[in-house]
Amino acid sequence: MKLELRDVRYVYAPGTPFEVEALKGVSVVVEQGEVLAIVGGTGSGKSTLVQHMNLLLVPTSGEVLVDGVDATTLKKSELRRRVGLVFQFPESALFAPTVEEDVAFAPRQLGLDEEEVRERVLESLRALGAGDLAARSPFGLSGGEKRRAAIAGVLAMRPEVLVLDEPTAGLDPATREDLLNLILSLRESGVSVVLVSHDLDEVAEVADRVCALHEGRVSTVGTAAEVFYGDPALAPATVRVASLLRGSRPGMGNPVRSQETLDALRALQGT
Amino acid sequence: MQNPGEGIRPGGSFAVSCEKVSYSYPGSGRPALSGVSLDLRQGEYVGVVGPNGGGKSTLVRLLNGLLRPGSGRVLVSGRDPATEPFEVRKHLGVLFQNPENGLVAPFVEDDVAFGLENLGVPREEMLGRVARAVRAVGLEGYERRELHTLSGGEKQRVALAGLLAVEPEILVLDEPTSMLDAVGRREVLEYLQALRSEKTVMHVTHHLEELTGADRILVLNGGELVADETPERFFSNADLLRENRLVLPVVPRLALKLGFPPAKLSTPEQLAEAILARTQSGTRTR
Repeated sequence: MKLELRDVRYVYAPGTPFEVEALKGVSVVVEQGEVLAIVGGTGSGKSTLVQHMNLLLVPTSGEVLVDGVDATTLKKSELRRRVGLVFQFPESALFAPTVEEDVAFAPRQLGLDEEEVRERVLESLRALGAGDLAARSPFGLSGGEKRRAAIAGVLAMRPEVLVLDEPTAGLDPATREDLLNLILSLRESGVSVVLVSHDLDEVAEVADRVCALHEGRVSTVGTAAEVFYGDPALAPATVRVASLLRGSRPGMGNPVRSQETLDALRALQGT
Repeated sequence: MQNPGEGIRPGGSFAVSCEKVSYSYPGSGRPALSGVSLDLRQGEYVGVVGPNGGGKSTLVRLLNGLLRPGSGRVLVSGRDPATEPFEVRKHLGVLFQNPENGLVAPFVEDDVAFGLENLGVPREEMLGRVARAVRAVGLEGYERRELHTLSGGEKQRVALAGLLAVEPEILVLDEPTSMLDAVGRREVLEYLQALRSEKTVMHVTHHLEELTGADRILVLNGGELVADETPERFFSNADLLRENRLVLPVVPRLALKLGFPPAKLSTPEQLAEAILARTQSGTRTR
């Protein structure tokens, strides 16, 4: 699926003294099977932007297009099955007595038979390394386990576009890596992933393209290398190391991922 | 402090002391903490790391009296937080993960003053303390700013100022930067570094690079204290890291793979410098 936002403006509380224009004309495309990262400071409009991707928020002006079709003409339930949105701290929405039932809630609404629902639930939990949690109560889980259960609930819908808003905040480093690997394997299977993150180091490991927001506008968009080498304020640690060396060692190239960077540094040292 | 000697009770020469502390959440089969003993000396900066569910947040809640241990004993400045939580909170302040959850007032200076109002500090003294705390976190000129106009990093600094105004000797930082962007993180970490010499600090984090300058790093896993190491030994112990679901941050990991000591090289600048030094000396010897 190709998802396109065209000149989207969004105003919170219009016509009141609290009116805030959170998005001031944002255009961005999510291509089929890519990982697009949305970065930017607190309050830059990242969360507001991604909530337009399944029309949880409807633009004040501008358009959301799904494969070129105006998304407002599609059935909402259909749109939300195809574009799965995982909020910040999604674990606060867990409610069922067991993890399995919680994850099953959304796919069951699709009218699938029980066997299919169960299969999808276990598949999603396993993809998150959480297969052993199925029978547990969501309320007795640790923060990282809850997060995985909540993401599994959206994954079980088998969305074509998965939107993750700060999915790794508060996760331990190994769980964070598992989640980044899941993003890469979803991309392998043709799913598009939109990753909202303030952690540029994790964005560097998975993003094909990066869209940076600043005060409700796109400040820069391009391949990860273009964006990270174009603006020092947006450079992850790998790019900062490489940038410091490029002046005196022109053969460095533009490495972004840590493995690429390691290879470039090894070549530099002649090891 | 009217009675500076008062904090020195049995076990009270440590800022924080836990003796075989265990805790299970109601209805949970498995203890969240079991038999944890640890001491923080006055003025130490101690990191606490470990996987989700390892017991870090439970430890923090036991230290400020939000939870009572099932068995064992906690002492903070010689006092038991289970029986004297309000007294303990004058000595130990906690900075939580998400600043949004802890801010209460519309304006910066009112929020910083909130804790003092609760303690019944006289107005004159309160004004002085608030001004000092606001200065300590670099927010002079922000006193009358509305909180909702501040960035995440600025809000976390307001929360930190609110803690400092209470003048606790011990600061517990529970993932204080996890909701902040890169700029906000650097801001907050800078101000925390500036407090090192004056306060005892326990810093809970998943961002291991924040702990390269710590005196010690404690590892909690499955409710048990499984390691207590210097940063040098911690960062070079690959088995310890793997067993506890810890992953080296980008720069130390690159450093290690290139054959440098990982704990010494935590910033891109340090790594780039080390690589330059090595390649230059390499060309000279060749």
